[in-house]
Amino acid sequence: MQKHLLVDIAYQINTSKRYANVKHFFYNLLENDNYKYKKFFDIFMITLIFSSVIILVREVKSHVNDELLFFNTYIVSFIFLIEYLLRFWVSSSVTNIIIEQNEQDTILGNKFQLLKSLKIIAVLKLKYVLSLKAIIDLLAIMPFFHELRLLRIFVLFRVFKLFRYAKSIHTFTSVIIAKKFEFVTLLIFASIVVFVSSVLIYVMEANNPASPVNTLFEAIYWSIVTISTVGYGDITPVTEAGRVVAMFVIVAGIAVFSFTTSLIVTAFTEKLDEIKDTKQIDDIAKIKEFYLICGYESISKEVAKKLSINNRVIILEEHSLKVKEAIKDGFTALNYDPGSIESYKKLRINLEAQVKAIICLSHSDVENLYTALTVRSFNKDVYILSILKNKINRNKLIFAGVNELFYEKELVGIIAKEFIGQPVAFEAIHALRMNYKGVDMQEIVVNDRILESFVMVGELENKKYRVVLLGIYKKNKKRFFFNPLDSTILEVGDYLLVIGNTQFIKSFSKYLHKKG
Amino acid sequence: MPQNTALIFGYNDYTFEIEKNIKSHYEFIHIFQLDAEKEPKDRGEYKIYSFDLSENWDDLSASVNIDTCVAFCLLEDMAENIFLTISLRETFKMLTIVALSKDKESTDKLMLAGATRILPTTQTTANIIVDMLEKPIITEVLHGILYEKSDLKIVQIKIDNDEFFNGKYPADIDWSRAHGIIVLSVFNDDMSSEFIYSSKEKHHIIKSGDVFVVVGYDEDIKNFKKMIGSKVD
Repeated sequence: MQKHLLVDIAYQINTSKRYANVKHFFYNLLENDNYKYKKFFDIFMITLIFSSVIILVREVKSHVNDELLFFNTYIVSFIFLIEYLLRFWVSSSVTNIIIEQNEQDTILGNKFQLLKSLKIIAVLKLKYVLSLKAIIDLLAIMPFFHELRLLRIFVLFRVFKLFRYAKSIHTFTSVIIAKKFEFVTLLIFASIVVFVSSVLIYVMEANNPASPVNTLFEAIYWSIVTISTVGYGDITPVTEAGRVVAMFVIVAGIAVFSFTTSLIVTAFTEKLDEIKDTKQIDDIAKIKEFYLICGYESISKEVAKKLSINNRVIILEEHSLKVKEAIKDGFTALNYDPGSIESYKKLRINLEAQVKAIICLSHSDVENLYTALTVRSFNKDVYILSILKNKINRNKLIFAGVNELFYEKELVGIIAKEFIGQPVAFEAIHALRMNYKGVDMQEIVVNDRILESFVMVGELENKKYRVVLLGIYKKNKKRFFFNPLDSTILEVGDYLLVIGNTQFIKSFSKYLHKKG
Repeated sequence: MPQNTALIFGYNDYTFEIEKNIKSHYEFIHIFQLDAEKEPKDRGEYKIYSFDLSENWDDLSASVNIDTCVAFCLLEDMAENIFLTISLRETFKMLTIVALSKDKESTDKLMLAGATRILPTTQTTANIIVDMLEKPIITEVLHGILYEKSDLKIVQIKIDNDEFFNGKYPADIDWSRAHGIIVLSVFNDDMSSEFIYSSKEKHHIIKSGDVFVVVGYDEDIKNFKKMIGSKVD
């Protein structure tokens, strides 16, 4: 009966949208580095830690007023406690474990094993509680028991708590972990040297009344100070045998010191690309809108150059040399295969929300088709434009889900025809395309604001602004009306296609939006 | 002398597309294949000739009247295409040479080599791709006009009768309301071009010999031509 009640409650909680939203929000706030509000939470916590540490440090030798002490002892600790409990809550899902166990038992025809699921819950929660970060979090709450003066040592843990919010500490830790074996070897070597030299110096010096080494602790202290190449000079050997030991420790110290330095440098160098990559992926995840160019060839270079004037552009290229070239050209380029689903997963790109269009510009139809098919396998809506290298592959690319194809050779033929037939007209259009002499062709979208002031084409006064109105594109009818009559009614969503000096068009557009 | 012969150098996909588009303009089309290219095959109505880069073009001079020719240099290897252009220019000083270029560097070199006109594939492709993404409607309309996919046409009209305009400036005339057409730009007889509204200053009075670039429907363009007494497109 109680078991059923528990399962019912677990289902009820698990299916509650509100509960899921609240838990998801706290998970994002505490654990998800890509959540936009997390950085504000982190800054708040860091400020709290600093203020708490300052109060605790000041309290050591000076008087701190009661309000500040109350703030530090109760308010800060209480906030830390809340944070600890929230982290404990989001670390794993109790309801999921109960439901999964119940479903598993039902499938197998067994009775619901409550104890087993409780055991799993306990193991998971305990695993979290015993993790280094959680221990530091817990110890950082300890000054709550301010009256127990001994516990003031735990101020240290508040400082340690900072690590949780500083990303560079994570990077440093991961670098050290990557060279774990080398560091352990170094530590063993250093420990042996310290042990042997401490024992030796103690044996050589302890019986000499002139020697400052009187205890084994002093011998160990001297060894560590010497091997680390710090050498305070407060303890120095006086016997000849002791000095021989010192020479040995000094030489060993140089070896340990240089080995440590080279280890850290190597580890960082090896991890540098990975660190940069991670940083870049994080940055890309924050971009609101961008064009994704797949493949970096001559056309991609030109397209990226032009698009990046008004937009953000990201290039995906599987060959590292081309990626380097793209980066050298000043673009954001990533060494990922655009034809692999794994790449998009790793990059955490939200195609629907972030990508304006995917442009497949590889010099191989096979690669472009593969990229288009990969994207279509997990997203049906994103706009894909691809170049076509061989006419024979047109239908294959369309079948793969490309929205628009561009066949460069056909274009060359058409251009040649225009050039031969009407060179002057060709020049004019070419000049318009290239924004030659500042003359441009632009689209102005008719919105509610424009419509408030202008109802018909005749009211637009484009001639006053020395702008040519080539026509109107009616989006709802999907039709272009060339040279529209003055009585043509304007509608929201219409596009005015205008030609003129860029500055004149700008003033005209401003005028359309301003008048009211 | 009217140009009635097209000489296409290079046998590749560009050749097919250009031949398809220009065949209505030329009485004769000769296609030349570089020796190094694939096995020559006659293409439909055309015989495929072969040539090599060390030619002195004696055979060509003997077989066609070079003054009536336009040469299309379409070799895909840019170094070879530049070499071909310079070789043709060196032999035929007045020949119109249209050359294919795949990058900015080759464009500059082809100009230096003496090409009359360049077909810059990479830049044009990039421009159009960007326009398709950034100005999709303009691109669609422009392509419709330029590539005759719509009823609208873009034509160049030479002014033979400036009396009709009576000393007016292009920007003074309400072309769209008076004639149903839109004048985009004016090429003056001194070969300088000016977009009709490119500046607020009035530089140029309409006079005979000017060439107007006009967009409009066929009927309106014909009427306009009649009105201004234009004889040549």
